[in-house]
Amino acid sequence: MDVLRTEFTLNDMPIEVTLPVRATLADAIRSTGATGTRVGCEEGICGSCTVLLDGRPARACLMLAAQARGREIRTVEGLAAGGRLHPVQESFRRHRALQCGYCTPGFMMLAVGLLEREPNASPERVRAVLASNLCRCTGYAPIVDAVLAAQQALAGEVI
Amino acid sequence: MAVVRGHVGAEAPRADDLPLVDGSAMFIADLNRDGQLWARVVRSPVASAVIVGIEISAAVRHPGVAAVLTADDVPDVQIPIRLPFAATPECELALQPPLARDRVRYVGEPVAVVLAEDPFTAEDAAELVALELEERTPVLDLRAGSGADSVHDRLPDNVVNRVPMVCGEVDRLFATAEVVVSESVVVHRHTGMPLETRGLLAEWEEGEGRLTVWGAAKVKHFNRQALAQMLDLSPQSVRLIEVSVGGAFGVRGEFYPEDLLVPLAAMRLGRPVKWIEDRREHLVATNHAREQLHELEVAASEDGRLLAFRDRAWCDQGAYVRSQGLLPALLPALQIAGPYAWEGFSIEASAVLTNRTPVGTYRAPGVTEATLVRERALDRVAAELGLDHVELRRRNLIAADRMPWVFDLGPQGEPIVYESGDFPGSFEALLAQAGYDDLRAEQRGRAPGGEAVGIGVSAFCEVSAVGPFEQARIALEDGRFAVYVGVGSVGQGVATVLGQIAAETLGVGLERVAIHHQDTADTPEGFGTFASRSTVLAGNAILLAGQDLRRKAAAALGIAEDTLDVDLEYARLAPQRLTGEGTFEKEHPSFTFGANLVLVSVDRELGRVRVERHLVAHDAGRAVNPALLRGQLCGGAVQGIGAVLFEELRYDRTGQPEVSSLEDYLLATAGDVPAVEAVIIENPAPTNPLGIKGSGEAGMAGAPAAVANAVADALGAGAESLALPLTPARIRALVRARELNAQPEAS
Amino acid sequence: MRPAPFAYERVESVEEMLEALARADGEGAAVLLAGGQSLIPRLNARLVRPRRVIDIDGIAALDHLELDQELRVGALCRHWRLEEATSLDGPWAALREAAAHVGLHPVRTRGTFGGSLAHADPAAELPLAAVTYGAEIELRSRAGQRRVAAEEFFRGPHRTALGPGEAIVGARFPSPKPDGVSAFAEVSRRVVGWPLAAVCVVLHAAEGVIQGARVGLGAVGPAPRRAIEAERLLEGSALESSAIDAAAVAAARACAPAVADGVDEDTRRDMVEALVRRTLAGLAGAVW
Repeated sequence: MDVLRTEFTLNDMPIEVTLPVRATLADAIRSTGATGTRVGCEEGICGSCTVLLDGRPARACLMLAAQARGREIRTVEGLAAGGRLHPVQESFRRHRALQCGYCTPGFMMLAVGLLEREPNASPERVRAVLASNLCRCTGYAPIVDAVLAAQQALAGEVI
Repeated sequence: MAVVRGHVGAEAPRADDLPLVDGSAMFIADLNRDGQLWARVVRSPVASAVIVGIEISAAVRHPGVAAVLTADDVPDVQIPIRLPFAATPECELALQPPLARDRVRYVGEPVAVVLAEDPFTAEDAAELVALELEERTPVLDLRAGSGADSVHDRLPDNVVNRVPMVCGEVDRLFATAEVVVSESVVVHRHTGMPLETRGLLAEWEEGEGRLTVWGAAKVKHFNRQALAQMLDLSPQSVRLIEVSVGGAFGVRGEFYPEDLLVPLAAMRLGRPVKWIEDRREHLVATNHAREQLHELEVAASEDGRLLAFRDRAWCDQGAYVRSQGLLPALLPALQIAGPYAWEGFSIEASAVLTNRTPVGTYRAPGVTEATLVRERALDRVAAELGLDHVELRRRNLIAADRMPWVFDLGPQGEPIVYESGDFPGSFEALLAQAGYDDLRAEQRGRAPGGEAVGIGVSAFCEVSAVGPFEQARIALEDGRFAVYVGVGSVGQGVATVLGQIAAETLGVGLERVAIHHQDTADTPEGFGTFASRSTVLAGNAILLAGQDLRRKAAAALGIAEDTLDVDLEYARLAPQRLTGEGTFEKEHPSFTFGANLVLVSVDRELGRVRVERHLVAHDAGRAVNPALLRGQLCGGAVQGIGAVLFEELRYDRTGQPEVSSLEDYLLATAGDVPAVEAVIIENPAPTNPLGIKGSGEAGMAGAPAAVANAVADALGAGAESLALPLTPARIRALVRARELNAQPEAS
Repeated sequence: MRPAPFAYERVESVEEMLEALARADGEGAAVLLAGGQSLIPRLNARLVRPRRVIDIDGIAALDHLELDQELRVGALCRHWRLEEATSLDGPWAALREAAAHVGLHPVRTRGTFGGSLAHADPAAELPLAAVTYGAEIELRSRAGQRRVAAEEFFRGPHRTALGPGEAIVGARFPSPKPDGVSAFAEVSRRVVGWPLAAVCVVLHAAEGVIQGARVGLGAVGPAPRRAIEAERLLEGSALESSAIDAAAVAAARACAPAVADGVDEDTRRDMVEALVRRTLAGLAGAVW
């Protein structure tokens, strides 16, 4: 089977993977042991595999591993820093924004991407962006609450 | 250290969240074993055919392929029925073999399995398996009867069984009724659709004669038993392990063909075998649910008293009777009476075979369908009588002082018993929380602006806390109180709730308790996680085990039990290897009450429905963790909204599924649903010491009915049949029909 | 769900892309991969099985968005750039709104303008905008360059005027009158997902009278189309409610919807009529 070597940055670490040319970015990330990027549909609909690609949320299942060459990828494993959870992670716990937890990393990356680029996003904007991913357990309200609360927490940190 | 109380009823944080938010949690796809092969299932591309031949030679020759298995390579076994009360001799005639022999009966039926070095190769080679099929006319009509082809030759009329139930003098009640309303409802096919697909990893250790299977959920002890039997192993040599589970909702964790095929392949090839279902497979391979047709007649008196009903139902089993037996037909029959003081009823539910994916249980099975049918019909009764639909229900809910309530099913049937609850009081609590009178005023106020606003209600009684028993064992291990139970965690937070009960019983802090439920090797035999039973059954077993441990500890230390602080004495107790044991037996299931109230607005021109408010009330008996309970109720309600507005597993006339990905199977998003409001009622259950009633499914049970009623109310279509789901096309058709009727006669 | 085997080739320039296309043996054997948001789902599901995938994702020269006398959009312009281009207002607002409706937020990170045109889904937003604005699609092959009017480019569901060896390099949108207004609207089953009907409207008025009108309809036929009769009814009107109603009815008549996604023709026409009426009513305030 044809394989290809690809280099990219994963959570600030240079990564080199050799994978079949058919492998997706999700395969590439997961092959490094960072399995928090979860695969739920492989067609870009569910959003469980959402990562940050050069700072913007993207579906890791809708990109060949080869296309990640030279790009900066951030995943759930890169959120916590210095032994402390990211405010979005804290907020998801506090607001009970997860039950089975399968969609959680994708939702958190979606939220982090939004809040970093649009710290003042309106609640309507937050809800509209969160409509990009699917959760089957929570009914969404706790997720929306968690992201809005995290937005407040992040604003507090900046000041 | 003081004895710690007050855990039960507290909003304790979930025990298992951290690995889920930092990404380190291990789901089945994250597990690998050295030297593993990947399995890919070859599935039937047609709904009904005779298998003339299966040509595997090209696949076997494909580089990287270790083996291809067909029916000839697997034992001649069938997937057994898990619940004895849902099995009949006729069911045995329609059980599913792990790989199709001679016939394929639905699109997606496993025909062969390819084992290869990697998932790419496995999928490539699976395409090389050539099936020679002689197609038959598929059976797709629920009422096809004996005129059609047969799904199974030994059941020529495509009916597995008919489930009859009779209570009271139905014909007499109908004869005396002033109002009789007929309602025909087709509940559409949809299903659980957890975000994580199924998956398994199996390893056979030849030397030890030991088989380990990761990826279990729901009913791991039954599955171990079934697997051991099929493979001719002792149950003790088979170990099933539950890892993180990405949602189950009733569909994940039952015994499916792959649950035999993957372990079997691992044994045959002497290498670990991994299988991860993909989403397109999931849509045809994992249990479907809900599809049934009901013809319901309701008899009422002029003053709005419900007298009796007759229900005839045709319940789709799909192409095989799977591990849940007749539940698709039994459960609606058991729950269609609901919380009302009927004087009589008669039910005949037929379990019907069709050439579609087999049907199993999806969260709140039977009660969701039955509630939809009954509550639609009740709105028609209300319309007929000119009665507010809330008022109709008020007049007929079983009064609290008539508990326990018994529907006597005669000498043949076990009676339906509602053991406790205050249905009218709970219903009023819902109305008060919603501000029902204000909502009616709002509805009237918005009407002049052209807005179609509707209010819908539904009430139900849900069977839950099904026995026969659960066991718990508590040991002093690794510095903590290790609690072993046989139920499963499927993402609902059961470990947290059971931990609260254990900590409360032992009188220790939450952090001192560890709940173990994952591994059949060290957990007591259990019946699993379904029918809102885990907290009730395992919780009470833990209560008994905790009491047992305290008793033994007090005796061992020679002190009075009421002065014992087990945590303070941990160091003295641990070396004595004390264990507390508890078995909670429950002969009869319990029925719980719930109700929904929904406010919708309908865009008449675009045919779109917006659910503006959704309230769900549920009598939980006692809320062990109100926050987690709200999570269950609200999450379930959103599934119910999605079910009635968006989700549908359609088939075309040849039996091909028309929905093959999440692009077509529409799950509600954050933008489509309101923040659901939960109203928790606590009327303790008299039949278990903790007073808990099952709650995992109540959010779903009445949601589709309430939304459908609200939409009908908005459109002034209270007395019309609704086709489901409520798509824009169907809403537009209703609006157009009403506009046409409203036009003056052409001169 | 893994793609069928293919050979992978990454190209860095338009010339390399055209060379690679020409080398690929015959029609259908090779596909261009840009953002992949439509292609990779179909690859993963093995609904397309190219022998060769030519990855053009990194051709920097095609990733541009320039607005002066006209608007030039490169084939690799990502949807988010159009969505966030605040300079696209007034007569351009509908294009920006169309881009904001494409797929899902994370899909717009990767999805490309050229990819959307080439995929030619009858319900897609950017092809509808291209048709409404009268854009010209720029095609290149080793043999040369040509421009095709958007209305000619879309030939049917997933069928375009692209010939063998040819690739989209961008599109030119002629500038509408600067004081024009525009809007885009669509209806779908949920708040996200493919539209069941979509409309794109660009108007130019002088002294309260519509001088020029463009009304485009999506998801209501094999390809996006303009509602010429509706445009004619609007031109010369003051966008009063009778003119709006007439245009909406005419637009509904102009579509030839197929029965798809469980939506019948009548419902789709109803949707077009309501969307056109609402969109025009929303613009009426801006015109006066």
